[in-house]
Amino acid sequence: MQVKKPWWQSGGVRIALALVLLILFGGAVSGIYLSQIPPEQPIAFPHKTHVALGAQCTYCHPAAAWGPNAGLPGISKCWGCHQQVQKKSPELEKLAGYVQRNEPIPWVPVAIQPDFVKFNHQPHVQAGIACETCHGPVSQMTVALPQPRQNMGWCLDCHQRMRPNDFVRLSDCATCHY
Amino acid sequence: MSEKITRRDFLKLTAMGAAATAVMTGCGPMSRYVVRRPYTQMPEYNQTGESTYYASTCRECPAGCGILVRTREGRALTIEGNPNHPVNRGRLCARGLTAQQGLYNPDRVRGPRFQGRGKPTSPPRDLTWEEAVQVVGSALQKPPERIAFLLGLVPDHLFDLVSELTQALGAPPPLRYGALAALDGRTTLLEATRRLFDTPALPYFDLAQAEVTLAFGADFLQAWLSPVTYTRAYGNMRQGNPRRRGELIVFEPRQSLTAGNADRWVPIAPGSEAHVALALGGRVAELRGLPVPEAFRAVSLEEAARVSGIPAAQLEDLAVTFATAERPLALVGGSALTQPNGLVTAQAVLALNALVNNLGQPGGVFLTPAEATPAPLTAVSDLVRRMQAGEIEVLFIHGVNPLFELPAALGFAAALENVPLVISFAPFPDETALQSDYIFPDHSALESFGYQRSLAGADRPAWSASQPVVVPLYNTRATVDVLLAAAQAIGRALPYRDEVDFIQQKILPLLNAGGFYTAPEILTFWSRWLQYGGWWTPAAGLPAPRSPRLPASFGTLTPPPAPAEGQFYLLTYTNHLGDGSGANRPWLQELPDAMTTVTWNTWVEIHPTTAEHLGLKDDDVVRITTPYGAVEASVYRYPAIRPDTIAIPFGQGHTALGRWAEGRGCNPAQILPAATNPAGDPAFIGTTATLMPTGRRRPLARVESKDGVYGEH
Amino acid sequence: MAEERPAKWGLVVDLDRCTGCNACIAACSMENNVPFVGEDEVAYGRALYWIRTQRYWEGEYPAVTPTFQPVMCQQCGNAPCEPVCPVYASVHSEEEQINLAVYNRCVGTRYCANNCPYFARVFNWFDYELPEPMRSYLNPDVTVRRRGVMEKCTFCVQRIVRGRQKARAEGRELRDGEIQPACVQACPAEALVFGDLSDPESRVSQLARSQRRYHLLEELGTLPRVTYLKGVGNHGG
Repeated sequence: MQVKKPWWQSGGVRIALALVLLILFGGAVSGIYLSQIPPEQPIAFPHKTHVALGAQCTYCHPAAAWGPNAGLPGISKCWGCHQQVQKKSPELEKLAGYVQRNEPIPWVPVAIQPDFVKFNHQPHVQAGIACETCHGPVSQMTVALPQPRQNMGWCLDCHQRMRPNDFVRLSDCATCHY
Repeated sequence: MSEKITRRDFLKLTAMGAAATAVMTGCGPMSRYVVRRPYTQMPEYNQTGESTYYASTCRECPAGCGILVRTREGRALTIEGNPNHPVNRGRLCARGLTAQQGLYNPDRVRGPRFQGRGKPTSPPRDLTWEEAVQVVGSALQKPPERIAFLLGLVPDHLFDLVSELTQALGAPPPLRYGALAALDGRTTLLEATRRLFDTPALPYFDLAQAEVTLAFGADFLQAWLSPVTYTRAYGNMRQGNPRRRGELIVFEPRQSLTAGNADRWVPIAPGSEAHVALALGGRVAELRGLPVPEAFRAVSLEEAARVSGIPAAQLEDLAVTFATAERPLALVGGSALTQPNGLVTAQAVLALNALVNNLGQPGGVFLTPAEATPAPLTAVSDLVRRMQAGEIEVLFIHGVNPLFELPAALGFAAALENVPLVISFAPFPDETALQSDYIFPDHSALESFGYQRSLAGADRPAWSASQPVVVPLYNTRATVDVLLAAAQAIGRALPYRDEVDFIQQKILPLLNAGGFYTAPEILTFWSRWLQYGGWWTPAAGLPAPRSPRLPASFGTLTPPPAPAEGQFYLLTYTNHLGDGSGANRPWLQELPDAMTTVTWNTWVEIHPTTAEHLGLKDDDVVRITTPYGAVEASVYRYPAIRPDTIAIPFGQGHTALGRWAEGRGCNPAQILPAATNPAGDPAFIGTTATLMPTGRRRPLARVESKDGVYGEH
Repeated sequence: MAEERPAKWGLVVDLDRCTGCNACIAACSMENNVPFVGEDEVAYGRALYWIRTQRYWEGEYPAVTPTFQPVMCQQCGNAPCEPVCPVYASVHSEEEQINLAVYNRCVGTRYCANNCPYFARVFNWFDYELPEPMRSYLNPDVTVRRRGVMEKCTFCVQRIVRGRQKARAEGRELRDGEIQPACVQACPAEALVFGDLSDPESRVSQLARSQRRYHLLEELGTLPRVTYLKGVGNHGG
């Protein structure tokens, strides 16, 4: 005698449920993936070329040495070199266009933190942390790539490793959140 | 404009504001990345992520406090006091602290426009500044005696320029008027100093070093000449004097914030201040062994006690306290002066200081540098009369909102109909601007250059400087530039290139005036002037008034009328909303009134026993009627007001001025009389009001009840 | 580099100087991006003042007088709000010796506010949107809170952190009075004094030893960092 299965054991419901879970899971995976791919930049700026030519990070991002934000270079900084260094390339054409129109370049920063995280470059630079420690091997990148897992555990981990004697202060909520 | 502004012609990092709210939600891929637009050319004084401070002058009231505006990436963030400024020494009041809500107010006028007086037949339309200059130019070509300028209270560079312009055109000089000055009785005070000391100058009272202070009506902690200066002085009077803790005694019919902080509040009958001051003066002279001056013999202690309702024994006690004090001081203003007897009161109180020899002494009375007198109410009613008679063809209005601030009984609204051309320079769509033919918006205060010459709270000669802290947000233009361009267009050019050039020429004499800095030429001086936020002398020092020649009489005394049964003395006063121009700052609306803790609305203060007698409870809506009109407000049972007096705060009841001001509370100017005292200031006592319950109830949002006032929820 | 001393931040409120003018509320709100909530919400008791002035009437007419007492988070050493938070959003800062409200942890149980004897904590019942362009004045140093988050006075911890970082960068110790919360900086009567209580010579320590001192609800044993100085005569305290 056939025992009637409860409705939630019927095949159709199970398949539907599996599909819903799959879609949710897929959505989550793609969401995480999308948040980790670099965004489209207005100019595919080749970091590695500039680093290879000997440009220091703080030449274009000088505010890292004295303030919270490293800052993005304006067109005057780019054009300061490139009006002399006139190599033909489609990316440089774009730069010339921005300079001609006196428009700011709409850069999309990738190393960003949420609004409730207050990060200050200056103490880190002062403590002698190299830029690559957090920003990855920029000397091998063209456009800057977001670094995975730049989360609170990562911050705390480094604070504990580098300054074990100062960890009470460096793990205080008010160091970063206010 | 000038070189100075193009130099600061920067672009903002526009995405910061969006980032602030968007990123907080955690991060979908859409909100993870925001676009940043860096400066095309980074100004050398600006660093990303670091604040840049600009010194300027607060324009929220005529006191002229020095401010430092903290900016970042071209946005004005917070406003802080300028620690070197002689008026406020780094401190600020609530009005100055919320000034950026004016700059970034969403309801600002965004460009020159034809307003058409709000008539449906002539719909508003936008104009260009070239058209605007043409309109102003042709208006200036009208017969000069038919041109009128009505300006705000501040003795600023615009007033100086308009004075020169009207002189060149042969037009009558501009009038400066504001409700703050009228409610303070400033003209009365100036007239009293002119009569007693031969100089019409606002007195500076050295409250910080005074040991016993009698205050007649002056609410110096919240309104009056310079609230931040006097609040600072009050703090030092209490705890900063190594000799003793200063004592404060206040005579007021309704306890203001100042009276609330006093050691003794004397609930004097409105209109009897002159009697009390004269009687006290006579008694103080006797106690100090001086011959009693003739003018002080007019009123005996007993008569003053009878008129004022203060027991004679208490008056005697106060006279002894004052006469025997080491550093006595008497100051006067506000509700004590806006009376038929106001001029007598002002002279009597100033002469009281002369009796105890504190003129020019520490803890005494000094005179601030004389200024061109603001127009009293009588001058404005004269203008209204000429408008009514059709003698004014063009009226320019800047920095004042007469339709809101003037007593409706004066008939300004009707007279405005008889003026063929009304041009407003208001940055906000206030009541008067909306009834104008044209609005040619000036920059807001944080976007403009300027100076203020006369600072009632400075203990030394001082000028205060204004400079733009951000690029103008909208298509506004400095009124000085508009007037200069218009004058040039009609061939009556003044010898100034633009606003900055005008200011530089005006401050030129300061190069050799003994300030705490100077420079060999104007451009260096100008950069320091902007850096320090003004110019002042290194050491404190104001002239002492000369010993007064007391007249035989300060004037005839009108005995205050006793209110009939069911009638009440009506008072109005200013709190942190000031003259009402602060009503469109949402945080000023949200700020609790210091005494009642009411927010966002108007209330009428009634003594609890009076309310009980009338069967009124808190939040009952009553109709307050005078011969000039009626308004409605919710009852606040105020324990510190005379039972025969009611009071309504000034500043609410706007019918325009944007989303946060409109349709909120009532405007007591609608029911005030247009009567004046001999000095030309308003005389409110003599008009009494009736109260009529409406049967409705409208709860006031009071902060004093932690759980709110809407009951269970 | 100068070695940093952990500070014990304290505030002194001189009630004899305080006039009740409420400039502190305005300064605090503009510095800390505190939203305004509008008339109805204020009437429901949901205003978001981080500092408020308690006004009580004393006496009978005509000898009636108000007392004014500014009350903000007392930054208790032994804080009742801390043990009740299920998600550790209300935590004690070991470094600054103040109580924190960690917005990104808060889930809005409001236990902390219910357990605070000073009613110092306020709750965001809604998202309070600012119309354009008003968002331009928001202080980028302070998080904009959203609906469902508890908030309170932080002694302007963003200024403390900035001030410390500045002193470190310049290789010196903090000067007394260098760090001022917005309310202290604005107070026209100079009734508020802020500083380091662990330095016996600081101005705030000297004032906190005054004979006029007392703490709010001292008997609860919360060890507040805010010291009140009694008003003298018939006014205050």
